[in-house]
Formats: sequence, structure tokens, C-alpha cells
Amino acid sequence: MSKIRERQFDHESELTAPTPDTEHWIIYTQKKPEAPFKWAGSLNAPDLELAMQFAGEHYGLDEACVAFVVHHADQATDGPCGIEPLEPGNANGTDGPSWSVFTLPRRGGNLQQAGTINAADAETALARATTTFADGKFHQVRVVPSDQLFLCTGESTLIWRLHDMDYKFAKGYSKGVRAKWTRIRDKQSYEEYRKEDIHKHF
Amino acid sequence: MSGAANPVKPLEQTGHEDPDKLAEFEQHIANGGLIEPGDWMPDAYRMGMLGMAEHHANSEIIGALPEGEWITRAPSMRRKLALTAKVQDEVGHGQMLYRVSQELGKSRDDMLRDLVMGKTKYHNCFNYPAPTWGDIAMIQWLIDGAAIMNQKTLADGAYGPYVRTMNRINMEEAFHFKSGEDMVLTLMSGTKSQKNMCQDAFDRWWPVSLMFFGPADKPDAENKPAMKWRMKVEKNDSLRQRFVDRFAPAAMDLGLIINIVTKNEQGLVTSASPDEELVLNEETGNWSFTDPDWDEFWRVIRGNGPCNAHRLSLRRFSYEQGAWVRRAIGSGTTSLPPAA
Repeated sequence: MSKIRERQFDHESELTAPTPDTEHWIIYTQKKPEAPFKWAGSLNAPDLELAMQFAGEHYGLDEACVAFVVHHADQATDGPCGIEPLEPGNANGTDGPSWSVFTLPRRGGNLQQAGTINAADAETALARATTTFADGKFHQVRVVPSDQLFLCTGESTLIWRLHDMDYKFAKGYSKGVRAKWTRIRDKQSYEEYRKEDIHKHF
Repeated sequence: MSGAANPVKPLEQTGHEDPDKLAEFEQHIANGGLIEPGDWMPDAYRMGMLGMAEHHANSEIIGALPEGEWITRAPSMRRKLALTAKVQDEVGHGQMLYRVSQELGKSRDDMLRDLVMGKTKYHNCFNYPAPTWGDIAMIQWLIDGAAIMNQKTLADGAYGPYVRTMNRINMEEAFHFKSGEDMVLTLMSGTKSQKNMCQDAFDRWWPVSLMFFGPADKPDAENKPAMKWRMKVEKNDSLRQRFVDRFAPAAMDLGLIINIVTKNEQGLVTSASPDEELVLNEETGNWSFTDPDWDEFWRVIRGNGPCNAHRLSLRRFSYEQGAWVRRAIGSGTTSLPPAA
């Protein structure tokens, strides 16, 4: 290994100059065609082009999905996250541009796409989204201007898994691992041991 | 992988919070509720969650280093693909956890700078060497196994963004663990030298795995903010016991011997003898075991472990090497990278 990699530093002044954080983007992935887009995570990138690239690499390629959407974090307007599920309001109207609506099915869950509404501003959009979509089954509403949501369907960015990726999923090992264990352990011991595995992810 | 559930730094309440809001906050948590970023939270909670998420993020990116060194030396193409994917996952976990931390009020650059200057820590277990392929198998089986146990409980915590991130991370940890388990099974089904390599690696990593969950809890741990506010939900000792109950019989069935070891300054084993304390209590179903060397734990946490300096200097090297890219994308101007 090169010596430069083993250099020791004692003073912060020797560090390279700090750089500000880049922009904050939020990503939602779609697991199957027609399924709702669900919150996947967020990332930092300086602009939309790199955000889409990064999202494809990190959230798209990394977890099987057929499409994802990205928006700048500043474009999201969140309603309060109620402890009790939201009940419909009484704000109606169809004027104004389109807003995409995401709802949170449970506190600690992932926001998912519910549909679109029209409104002149974010506050009205939140109120109308609550009226339209709240059914006592979700806790929070997020609205994002529809023209600020950017879609990737895999046509321009690689998000498709076209090859065998058994090597990178737990289920790819399950059969072989079970066969190897049961050569040396009785079934009961093995099943007991497996209890700590995260079954739902296998 | 990580063990961020066990911050060693004490978390003190500030005592300056609105008592009504604090009572409502604590009642909400006691009722099993989750805290979302827009909710009111005490400053001590915010700082505690930041410390925990930042420590976890640091651990993910430092944890990629010992395994990353083995990508070029993996014994087969499948193992190489799996290890590459695992290292990529760990760095990805770091990115997600740094984002959680950023939302709690600290910039990513500040976190990376604090890490390389030693102002913030990462998990102790990454300060040990991985001299053989057997170590990679043990890291994935034992350390990722311990991480899954730990992180499953963290996914029951109270801070929404951290819980969501834990759920995503655990999904990938399941692959890491299974891959490691497969490697250990393969080595222990192999030749004598493969078995010896596996035993040597097990000797190096078993005590580190026991330390993974952090030092013994104080008697009133449940009443301290970390547990009262459900930043962590299970005691270090109970997690450690569950780990031993699961892995000790599995290791023995594989033909591995659980030894008490002494190590030299390089983290290599100089003597090993079977752990005489390792006995199953038929009544409780728990295995008793010899505690790891806690003096060693504190020595390593203070920066004097076998690989502390090496890990930090390599992380620092990457930070410096990436500076021109960060400057270029931040300012829209480009400059040549520094000479290697």
C-alpha cells in the first residue's frame, strides 16, 4: 500500500478546505408496473441529472424496481404527522396546477403515492388532498408539484436487473446453507438457530 | 453492519425543556408512538439521535474498509461479486444514515471531517485486522449476525427516519449474514488447512463479537434517556446473551472451539485455551461464558487498537482524494485531481 495512505494528521488545519453539502433529493420507487411509488430514501446531489444517476445506482439498481421518481426536498410540503389517522376535511375545488399526493399509512412507515389534486398553492393542496384522500387510514399527507417530480423508467438510466443476482440476496443462499447445516445439525437445532434470521427478507 | 445502539457517551437531559411538552413527548413514546422530524423533541433527544445515527453512519463506511481490502483476493468470482455487493451495501448504508443525521442538524462535510480528525467515533470492531479470507467469513457471520440482532431492536425504536432506515438496512444485512454463514460452512466442510484458517479467524472475532454490544449496562439503564426515549430498546447484556445462545452452539456444531485468547498489539492471537465457563444452563436455556477483555475494549475505543490509525488514515486519504470532485460539483468548476 502506498505510503500516502498511511499518512497521519494531527491538526484540522491540514485538512482540505470544507465543502458545503449539495442539494437534498427524495426518491420513491415503484416495485411493479401499476403499483404505487413508495418512499425509498433520500440523497445529496448537486443537480437533477446527478440526482437521477445516483438514485438509479443506489435506490434503483440496489433494490428491484421498475421505475422511480425524484424531487428536490424543498418541493415537498408535509402536513402534520398526526398520532391519530387523518379524517377527511371539507376543502374542495379543482382550480390550479397539479400536485402529486403521498400519504403515510402508519407512523414510521413509508410515504406512498395516492394520486393527484389541483390547487393554487401548497397549503390549499394539502387541504384538498386531505379532503380527497383521507379515509381514517393514514397519518400524514405530502404534496409535491407534479411538474417537479421527475420520472425514470429505466430507458435512459440502468435500473433493470437482467442477470442472476442470487449472490447478493439472502434467499440466494438459503437452500445451500440449509443443506450444509443439516449435514451436521439436527433439524430442530437448525430451526431454532434460524429463528433469529429475518425471515421476511429471505 | 454496525453497533450504533450502544453509545458509550452518557446522554444527559438538558433540564431546560418545557415540562408540559416534555411530558407529552415522553407519554407519546411510552405509548409506542414514533417521533417524526417535524414533531417537537427535547434538545437532548435530537443530540442523542444525531450522535447515534452519526456513529452508525461512520461505522458503515469504516466497516467497508477491512472487507474492501479482500475484494481483489476473493477466492472465486461468486465470492468476489458477493463481497463487492456487500461493500457497496455498507457504503450505501452510510449514505442513508448520514442523510438521517443531516436532517438532525449537522452537515455531511462536518461529519466526515469530525470522523477523520477523531472527534467522532465508529464501531470498535473495525479496528481489528482481517489477515485471512477466514476473517471475512467471520466478519460476515459473527459481526453481521450481531448487527442484525442489534439493528432488529433498533427498528423498534422511536425516531421515524432512523426506524425506516433500519428496516431498509436490515433487508440487506440478511444477505450479508447468509453470505458469511455460507462461507463459514464451506470452510468448515473443507480441508484441514481451511478448517484451521477458520478456527484462527474465529479466535480473533469471537471476543470482538462479544464486545460488539457494548459494555455492561448500568443498573438503572431503563430509566436513562437512551432507553426511556426508545433510542435503544434492549440492554447490551441481554443482546449479548442472545448472541451467545445462538452462536455458541452453532459454532460448536461446526467443529469450532470457543477459546479464551490473548492478543498482541497487532490484534493477532498469541495464546488460546478453551473457555471453561461455556456451559448451558438447562433451566434458563442460556449459555454462560467468559466476559471479553474490557480493558482491551476501552484501550481500542480510546484509539489504541491494532488498526485505529490505519483505518482513519485511509478514510482521510479518501476524503482528501475526493475533495476535487466535491469542489467541482459544488462550484461547477473543475480542477485536476491531486497526484497519487
